[in-house]
Amino acid sequence: MAEAPVFAVVGHPNKGKSSIVATLSQNDAIAIALEPGTTRKRQAYPLSVDGHRVYTLVDTPGFQRPRRVLEWLEAHSVSVSDRAETVKAFVTQFQDDTRFADECELLAPLTEGAGVIYVVDGSIPYSPQHEAEMTILRWTGRPSLALINSIGPDDYSDTWQRALGQFFQVVRRFDAVRAPFEQHLSLLKTFGQLEPEWEAPLNEATRYLSEQRHQRRRESATLIANTLEGMMSFREQRTLTVQQVTEMSDQALADQLRDQWYKHQRKKEEHLRIAIERLYQHNRVQRQEAELVWHSEHDLFSENSRAAWGVDRRYLATAGFGAGAVSGVGIDAATLGHSLGTGALIGGLIGAAGSYYYGDRLALPVLKIGVLKNGIRTASFGPVQDSQFGYVVLGRAINHWWHISQRNHAGRELLDLAPADDHWMESLDRRSRQTIHQVFDQCRKKRPLDDKTRQTFRDAIDAAMTEFDHWRLNQP
Amino acid sequence: MAYSRLRRLLAFDRQIRRDGTQSPVFLHRRDRRFALDCQDRNETPSVDRWLVHLERVGRMGGKDSHQSRLAASAPEQTLIKWRRLLATFALFGVIFGIVAMAGLLYYEGGQRINLTVLLAFAALQSLLALITIVQSTVNWQPWRPVLRRLGLGGRESPLKPLMPALMARVAHTGGVCFGLAGVATLLVLVVIQDLAFGWSTTLSTSAEGYHQLLGTIAWPWQHLWPTAVPDLALVDATRFFRAEASSGEADPELWGQWWPFAVMVWLVYVVMPRLAGLVLAQLQLHLRARRALASHPGMVALEYRMETPTVDTGNQHHDALDSPDEQTAAQCQALPDSQILIYWAGADDPELPDSLSAGHLLTESAGGQRSLADDEQAIERCNDLLAKQAKPAVTLVTRAWEPPIAELKDFIEAARNHWPKKTRIALLPFTSGATQLNSLQQLGQWLRFVDRLNDEQVCVSQPDLRSPESRAYEPKPEGLK
Repeated sequence: MAEAPVFAVVGHPNKGKSSIVATLSQNDAIAIALEPGTTRKRQAYPLSVDGHRVYTLVDTPGFQRPRRVLEWLEAHSVSVSDRAETVKAFVTQFQDDTRFADECELLAPLTEGAGVIYVVDGSIPYSPQHEAEMTILRWTGRPSLALINSIGPDDYSDTWQRALGQFFQVVRRFDAVRAPFEQHLSLLKTFGQLEPEWEAPLNEATRYLSEQRHQRRRESATLIANTLEGMMSFREQRTLTVQQVTEMSDQALADQLRDQWYKHQRKKEEHLRIAIERLYQHNRVQRQEAELVWHSEHDLFSENSRAAWGVDRRYLATAGFGAGAVSGVGIDAATLGHSLGTGALIGGLIGAAGSYYYGDRLALPVLKIGVLKNGIRTASFGPVQDSQFGYVVLGRAINHWWHISQRNHAGRELLDLAPADDHWMESLDRRSRQTIHQVFDQCRKKRPLDDKTRQTFRDAIDAAMTEFDHWRLNQP
Repeated sequence: MAYSRLRRLLAFDRQIRRDGTQSPVFLHRRDRRFALDCQDRNETPSVDRWLVHLERVGRMGGKDSHQSRLAASAPEQTLIKWRRLLATFALFGVIFGIVAMAGLLYYEGGQRINLTVLLAFAALQSLLALITIVQSTVNWQPWRPVLRRLGLGGRESPLKPLMPALMARVAHTGGVCFGLAGVATLLVLVVIQDLAFGWSTTLSTSAEGYHQLLGTIAWPWQHLWPTAVPDLALVDATRFFRAEASSGEADPELWGQWWPFAVMVWLVYVVMPRLAGLVLAQLQLHLRARRALASHPGMVALEYRMETPTVDTGNQHHDALDSPDEQTAAQCQALPDSQILIYWAGADDPELPDSLSAGHLLTESAGGQRSLADDEQAIERCNDLLAKQAKPAVTLVTRAWEPPIAELKDFIEAARNHWPKKTRIALLPFTSGATQLNSLQQLGQWLRFVDRLNDEQVCVSQPDLRSPESRAYEPKPEGLK
């Protein structure tokens, strides 16, 4: 079996080598800082499928003394044919020399057969000052590709592209922080074009990465669906003894139950966030600050949240009609069709009327305080009786999923979960709307969902995710 | 057999519920690994193997943990409840069978045992068996609340779709026991008593008509046991009327000849329907358990995890916490009044403003495209001029956005070795245009660079963009004079 290709990501210090590696290896725990010398040792990041390496990316330190290295190489080379050997000799001779530690670290994988991925910053003007390091890389004789990464806001990519074309086989632009996933795959395919025998493994890698992304999306839909089911049907319950009953007023009990209920719901939502982040291998997202801001301005239960993520009365009425009609079909089935569809019609009208009536009310969950019986009194708060609550949770969850799924692992900025300014769910297909509404209704009535309903609910969430994706991508 | 399927379904459901707390990535890795191990051993990765595998690796070194014991016992607990219910029904079936048959065959020596009652009772049993069969087939569960109260029909139970078949099996088991106990009671009574069977009905029917009915009833065993098929003479001879004072005309032996027919009626119309129902329920249980397992949401996910390769993108390495210290005590200092300007690595492009470049006696270039020999010559030329100055100072202009690398350090160290010891070197990181946006962050890397050089004569200065004339009239800061 052929050895898996290795690509050494090399370049001048602080040009985004680690960012490129972080994004392609989906690792947000790689140190990235605008400080030369952040990467001191080469580090391999293999992509494995079932434990078998498909390719390896090697992050390396930047060149520190390229002119001195080039001078040594030129002094020890007789002809073009011995250049690769001379580079190898340099690494052998200076591997223990602290002066050339960085150069040895970055050249070693190239002498062992790695391909060259040379990274430059396209946001700063081109300068021929880096030609010494490009010449050294050319001396290695390895297949090479130059990547123009843009760290700052300016764009000098065109100049870079022209200049790099003289030194490298392929020149590509790639924004490590902002490039969409499709570009990651496209870049990996380009890596495969550097050598004929690398094409198959890199194509295989992109196929698996693509499948993995689809799988993550499905799992996200399942996580969101399960959380929604749990949150919509959650009831906070407490059993009190006679002594506790006498010590606590009904109002105090209600307040406590309500607080506990809110606390539980927020915890469930937080768990969902973390689960989705872990799924996409974002383990270090700085969401803490963003969440606090999010909660203070767009609290889950505030009217603002409802305005941002809820749906309007017309939507509710339409979805309610569909959900009611589905229930009413049961009557028609029971009468073996003799009711001529009246059941579906009546059910639909009742569902639509109920949804329309309650549509603009942020109804609180049901608070029930039972009577004292056998020295024990039970009190409960929930489930929430307002379907809008479900739409708010759903909207927020999908918004978070979208941001996480689009976020590259080189990104270190705060995750800003801005609320939507449009009711994107209104373009969701009717069937999915009805399913979501029906499930919300069932949950708030504490009716258990069967496996089939759960599956269709997951599919509806998936459809909502697709809809949100389209809506975000078509945003001006 | 059925229990093994149920046990598998329960254990599978239990495992899936436990997996709910694990991350999808971990579950994928775990199950794919299992599938690959099976592939290596040329085995099909079945649910049974999967459960056994998880149980084995979950034991943690051969010892059953309390948790794993609890997990393993939970499916057993559910099945034990069902077994108990089955045993209870069987027991009551036996008791009721004995009581019912004893009641039917109650004979104190006066009145005959009316076969018509026995036939009606057997017909009722057949009807009940049929109702149970239909009930389990159409999934009608009128006894669901009772089962829920007994803890057998929870809403979340994976056995929920199997409830009708399970309950039918329990009912049919009770029915079979009832029937067999009835037959046994009948045979015992036949042996220990002289039972006098006869037939009687209010309806005006002839012996021929009744015989025809009995012939139809006895059709299933007419070839199997002809003695158990009553002939017309027997039917004719054993009719009785309760109003009659005595029926002494008939041979008393004839009254006892009915028992084979009674046994067969009971066997065929009470025991057999129940047995058939039991077999059907067992079959339904098999099919439904298999279907429930195949359509279990966890099964679809498990198969997907087993079939799909795990992709590890190489995110094990963590060094984000190992970032360099970006704090520095170094401060920018005022630009010294130098007469030498050195452009490092192409810092003369873009050109410096006149306010910075004018007024210098010597301008040199080093680094970047210049060779190391050029650097040495530049140091020499600077040295010649610096040696003549009372307050030697050099301004070294760099591109602020380019990080300071070891080559610059080498250059400064070489220069410091050649130049007079009191020569001050001011690093001037220069930015222009949009690159100024990052100037503060860029300045930080130069300050830290100077900090690391640990040389008092080297400092970082910010560009002073005023004209040389205005600078000339500016009072010099202390220490730079």
